[in-house]
Amino acid sequence: MADANATSVAQTSPEADPARVNPRPARAPRPPRPNYRLIHRFPLPVNAHPVPPVIPHNPLSILSAALSYLSFLISRPSQEIHSAYFDPATSSIHVTDEKAIRALWEMGFFGKGSLSRSEPSWLEREKKRRGLLGGNTSEEATRRRREERRALKLERARSEKLLIDERLKLEAAARESGSTAPSLGDSVDDTVTTIEKFSVKKAMEAKYQESRLRRSQNGTSVPPADTPESSQSKSVRFSSVVEQKEATSTSTARLQGSSLADADELDIEDILENQEHLQISNEEAFFLVYGLGVLRVFDREQNTVIPTSNLLPLLRRNSYFPPHAEASELNPDDPFMLSYVVYHHFRSLGWVVRSGVKFGTDYLLYNRGPVFSHAEFALIIIPSYNDPYWSETEERREYVTSKQSRSWWWLHCVNRVQAQVKKSLVICYVEVPPPTGPSEDIAALLGQYQVREFLLRRWIPNRTRD
Amino acid sequence: MEDKDEDAVRGTSVEPTQVETDLSDETQDFRLLSHLNLYARNAAHPLQANANTQSPPSSLTDTSSPGLPKRGEKDFEPNPTQHQADVLSKSREAMHDALAHPRLHNLNTRVIAYYAPDGPAPPPGIDIEDPARFGDKGVGANVHPDSCVYVPNPKGQYFKNMGQSDRWNRVWLLPEEALFLIERGSLDIRWPIEMTAAPEDEGPEELSIPMSLQAAYACFMGRSGLTMERYTVYTGLKRTGYALTRAPGWDDSAQVEGLKDQNQECASQRPLKRGAGLAGILEQLFSWAQDPFSTRSTAAGPVVGCGMHRNYNNIYRQLAVIPWYDPSLAIDRDPLDTTPPFRVVFHAYRPSTPIKKSAWPAPDFRIAVVNTRETAAIPTLAQLGALLESTPLDPPSGEKMKRLVYMRLRHGYRNVVMAVVDQGIVSYLRIADAAFGKEKLYETQAASMGNKRNGNFRGKKR
Repeated sequence: MADANATSVAQTSPEADPARVNPRPARAPRPPRPNYRLIHRFPLPVNAHPVPPVIPHNPLSILSAALSYLSFLISRPSQEIHSAYFDPATSSIHVTDEKAIRALWEMGFFGKGSLSRSEPSWLEREKKRRGLLGGNTSEEATRRRREERRALKLERARSEKLLIDERLKLEAAARESGSTAPSLGDSVDDTVTTIEKFSVKKAMEAKYQESRLRRSQNGTSVPPADTPESSQSKSVRFSSVVEQKEATSTSTARLQGSSLADADELDIEDILENQEHLQISNEEAFFLVYGLGVLRVFDREQNTVIPTSNLLPLLRRNSYFPPHAEASELNPDDPFMLSYVVYHHFRSLGWVVRSGVKFGTDYLLYNRGPVFSHAEFALIIIPSYNDPYWSETEERREYVTSKQSRSWWWLHCVNRVQAQVKKSLVICYVEVPPPTGPSEDIAALLGQYQVREFLLRRWIPNRTRD
Repeated sequence: MEDKDEDAVRGTSVEPTQVETDLSDETQDFRLLSHLNLYARNAAHPLQANANTQSPPSSLTDTSSPGLPKRGEKDFEPNPTQHQADVLSKSREAMHDALAHPRLHNLNTRVIAYYAPDGPAPPPGIDIEDPARFGDKGVGANVHPDSCVYVPNPKGQYFKNMGQSDRWNRVWLLPEEALFLIERGSLDIRWPIEMTAAPEDEGPEELSIPMSLQAAYACFMGRSGLTMERYTVYTGLKRTGYALTRAPGWDDSAQVEGLKDQNQECASQRPLKRGAGLAGILEQLFSWAQDPFSTRSTAAGPVVGCGMHRNYNNIYRQLAVIPWYDPSLAIDRDPLDTTPPFRVVFHAYRPSTPIKKSAWPAPDFRIAVVNTRETAAIPTLAQLGALLESTPLDPPSGEKMKRLVYMRLRHGYRNVVMAVVDQGIVSYLRIADAAFGKEKLYETQAASMGNKRNGNFRGKKR
């Protein structure tokens, strides 16, 4: 849906605007970015119905507020409850309903497309591949950017090789002529610190500047937000080189697409069936079921809804591999409990929590969502066993030590990776309670855990000195 | 989407990436040294200039020097050109020149000190009638009892923030201070005369025997808790320009039975079911009026109920069921109520901080030193929590912090610097007690959404 805006525009615009077809080959206007603010205006997949504001000096507003209050009281708006099913073979939870997939992704960024990187966009990519659609998905943008980067790197390698060859030739010539050799060496050495090699970054910058220049010459006003920000802030932006390329390629695709679409639109639409489903992590699923009550998880074999009280033990047993047997006892430090406590904590504060496996961490914390900004925080979870119960016997002490201990090398490794991707590392300790008997009260169970966050970053004495 | 993160990984975004490059991590290119001297002295030949130079290699780090050359690009692999070989040999030559340069000690700046293996004591021949009157061993209250070197005639800049003087104007140095100075070549430590000569020919300093660097290491290392790791951290920061003192937690064996885990209770933030008193009742009434048929149940879920919601802030408020730790409510701990080595052992001061040796100000940084070969595991929550609670509360303040959530979170409420030493390699980590629970992100988000409805919303990031 993120690109639904763009695609609808792309499909209708050729007919609507004939001027675009006539030969002005230089640049087609860039397809508008999807309006993420509108698409993702709801932070959670729950409907909220605000009462209209009451303005004291306007009696009508009181009336309208009362009316809306009463109307909601009499005919209650229903909350949509989505369905998902639990797949025991893979210990995962899948959503296949198209509407539910869109709702869960757009409101709160839950789950990931099974055939996409994050947003489920397989169908769109497939349609585009068959020439049905213009527009672009994020996967394609990345692919193109990677190709471009590879070309630049090859170019760099080539120019370096040329440089070496040239120098070798020079040196050989100097050796033949004998006496001039040392002077050559000297002059070369003086310039060595100033010689600039071919740098990929420089090349990208140059291209970027060039495209900016061209854009401003074309008369398209450059929005002020487009100016390169200070190097400190990380702005979310596709390289404009890529964007430009996209724009041109879209326009051709659009031309092809429109003719093709006219011919056999119906056929392909019929053939093309969405092969993709949304996979939501177990923590996300439990949050949607227990926290928000907007999801029902079905048992795939019996095709019955799993009640919340059974879902929790099921997910806890499945947080191990292989999953623990049905009859086995639940540990208070099940990986699912630890990760769910953290997940719920940060969700309840308003963060969008997504897996951080790409950066070697447990979670990433997004403000509002991944389409708006980079994740600022990366989070790792470490259990803590402060309760006296855990230090009662030698056996327990050993167990606890094995669970808690992480090496310094591991910590530095994680920390350096986060510094490289400009994220702040958060160590999240979860206090594990002693085991208790089976309890039906989930809130009481969750209330026994406690979360404490530490922020870790490298301290560089040279930097903080002044 | 997440590809934006990958962008950051590769660091090829159009803006120059400002990554934390730490020059001290890299090997010095000594050719820069000869360039530096070339600019400084306007000599004809770099090597010549280098041979004449009096400035120690440490001038490399002096960034204020106008002639400091820029780093060129690195070569990553060898190629068959003569040019590369030349550059390499030139660099080596420059290094050898720098190292081979004779280091001279000017007689005028020579500072002589004496080793006192038994700790601070009054000068020989002076009897103290009432030692108790003057604090420790009668030399003065300021002198640290672990001091073992004294300087009878202190001069030079080093004593501005090192050592403590006694009643006879002698400056007493701690083992790490003495070792640092002797290693720098700024101090000439003599063996005590009683140890080297017969008692009768005591007197002129020419007779005393200078202590070698090896002997200094043998005498001072391991003395009164000075480990190699602590000394590495001390000397590293000292050379960077910081002033350091020992913190109260220096002695590993000192223990105080303190609050233990009392803080676990008092700083724990449990989500409130209902506010106190009349306000709480009104609040409940109000929430009932908002949704009279609420099916809210925290025991079996859903936590927010299946009913109708008026706004998202309420939903988020209802979702808060996980207890979290609030660092601003925790009670300060005694610095000794911690588990070594997770204990502050040094107080560090920026060079710009004005220092009075008799009354040290509040430190700029608190440093704990950890030896990875002894303590291979990172601290547990109990250890790390105790360490942070032993530092004073330092909540985020200032206009900028008030505005920026991320900055506030990154600053935290308490902080400490942990120097992790792995066989001589130090890496510093700043650890802060972040309180994510205190930042209700949804409130700021709701505010920005409200703006949008008014139509004047402009995003700050694209």
